[in-house]
Amino acid sequence: MDLASIQVSSVGVKFNLGFEQKGGRNPLRLLLMRGKKRDFWALKEISFETNRGEILGIIGGNGAGKSTLLKIIAGIYPATEGKIQIQGSIAPLIELGAAFNPELTGAENIFLTGSIFRIPRKEIKQSFDKIIEFSGLRSFIHSPVKNYSSGMFIRLAFSIVIFFQPDIVLIDEVFSVGDRAFQQKSFDKILSFRKRGATILLVSHDTNLISQICDRTLVLSRGEMSFLGSTDEAVDHYHQLIKSGEGLEADKGLGEQDAAVHDRRRWGNKQVEIQSVRFVDETGSPRSDFKSGDYFEAQLVYVSHLRDETPVFGIAINTIYKLLIYGPNTLESGLQKDLPHEGTVRFIIPYLPLFEGDYLFSASAYDPTLSRAYDHHDMMYHFKVSSPGQRDFGCVQINSRWEISGE
Amino acid sequence: MKNYLTELFQYRELLFNLTVNEMKLRYRNSVLGFLWTILNPLFYLLILSLVFSKIIRFQIENYTIFLFAGLTSWMMIQQTVVIATGSIVNNQALIRKVYIPKMVFPLSNILARFVDHVIMSLLLLGFMVFFHVPLTWNLLFIPVALCLHFFFSLGLSLISATAYIKIRDVQNIIAIVFQALFFATPIIYSLNILPANYRPYFLWNPFYYFVQCFRYPVYYASLPPRQDFMIALVLTVVIFIAGVVIFHRKEKLFVFHLS
Repeated sequence: MDLASIQVSSVGVKFNLGFEQKGGRNPLRLLLMRGKKRDFWALKEISFETNRGEILGIIGGNGAGKSTLLKIIAGIYPATEGKIQIQGSIAPLIELGAAFNPELTGAENIFLTGSIFRIPRKEIKQSFDKIIEFSGLRSFIHSPVKNYSSGMFIRLAFSIVIFFQPDIVLIDEVFSVGDRAFQQKSFDKILSFRKRGATILLVSHDTNLISQICDRTLVLSRGEMSFLGSTDEAVDHYHQLIKSGEGLEADKGLGEQDAAVHDRRRWGNKQVEIQSVRFVDETGSPRSDFKSGDYFEAQLVYVSHLRDETPVFGIAINTIYKLLIYGPNTLESGLQKDLPHEGTVRFIIPYLPLFEGDYLFSASAYDPTLSRAYDHHDMMYHFKVSSPGQRDFGCVQINSRWEISGE
Repeated sequence: MKNYLTELFQYRELLFNLTVNEMKLRYRNSVLGFLWTILNPLFYLLILSLVFSKIIRFQIENYTIFLFAGLTSWMMIQQTVVIATGSIVNNQALIRKVYIPKMVFPLSNILARFVDHVIMSLLLLGFMVFFHVPLTWNLLFIPVALCLHFFFSLGLSLISATAYIKIRDVQNIIAIVFQALFFATPIIYSLNILPANYRPYFLWNPFYYFVQCFRYPVYYASLPPRQDFMIALVLTVVIFIAGVVIFHRKEKLFVFHLS
């Protein structure tokens, strides 16, 4: 067999947006298949090769085209231009359980899924018991999968694909679901494929995971290749992108200009203007890398043009999946009186309770009813947290304790 | 095209599974289950037969067999096309997430229906014995007629399924057209009870030739008129090839139009 297992050469994919969304559905136009077509290149000029036994990471912001790339390699979307050559069988762990028929039992679905991946019935029968064993669903295997919990669903789907000994595995954020023990088990299994010479493409937001296991990493930004090379450099490059605010916009690229990106993350009438935001440590020196438990301070430098009203300042911390972790404001804190017209608002966390990862930071100034924005900077800032030796899971430490008692 | 067929062949087990699942799931949770496949058309037959032989008295000898033959031929095409039209859209969840040659979907729909129709044909055979209709060697033509029906409805389904993806009105249009055609095709009546000057118009109806091919061996105990058979054959070949070509050209783009 050839050494290259996946060969992607100047691949581009064009989506056609206008047709479905256009308001007035003129029936005649529809019949003639005409209409103002708005094109959108989800991917452009993508070229790379993978070798057997390699794990290639793919990172990039929302809407960068990561999933689209996997779907093209899996054959779900056709490439509008360019060429893709694939050697060997593919197991797409993209949307697990997509092939399941909810009315059928788990056992019936094993055979159905197997035939979708062109696995001969005989082989499925041979691995049948191992699949059920691995999924841990023996007692439910003869009930319809519509009665499964989402966790059970994923476990079964995963177990099926894993036992088909694929040459190429495409993984899209699979590890964010299922319980931890099952994740670990599946993960070990996938890594064992590499020893057999399988190629693995891993799409993830989790730069830690990528750094741990990927041989090389591809960074996508707005559908284009931003970087391809060693994982360490790629992760650095990705962080640069996040900082510059690129690659975070989900719905950009729809014919909008770059300038608009900045505008969409900032709005308000500027009666109070937040001029700058920076993060500092306890000595007051700026930094963007913190450790769990560190002193954390955000400084918002503002100018107010208001006469008698006092603005309310707020901040928000989000994960890079845009999940809001915490969003306090000065209205609740009683810091409402006699604000100077110019100054610095300091938001202090004495002991940063966040765990390892990248976080997005928003700053804003509103009127006291919180209905009118003076200046809102939405997730425009970024900081990083590392937590060496951390054994807990999650992204935030919750003040808590354990107690155990006997009878 | 050769690659295409090879690929389809590699997915034969999937085709089999989808076909079996469809038949299995159709009547899951129903008491009579698969029996409905027979009961449904049988009751329809009973009603039509009562209305047109006892209430409106058509002067057609052995009317039940006459009707049964026509009805089987008709349903073979109508039921198949109506169901297979939605085959791509109904499986969009799958199509958007896994790669499968799309032909598998209409094909499995049609195969599942075809099984029903073969059963119906066997039931018709039973009726023939019961009503003392002579069984002749001409009945051996029935498998040929079944093949014609199969490929003709496959071709039609591929075209309508492709059109349905972009224009969802297709399903409604098809339902109406079939309803009209049911009465325009000599199923419940025979052509020669019509006034002679109307008859030529009815010959423009493609379904007429399929009904002829199926009904002749059963009811008239002879092969269908040569000309009728040739027209049915040409229609089948043309529609089937057109269907495959149209479907094959568009199938890669299906995924962009599903949401």
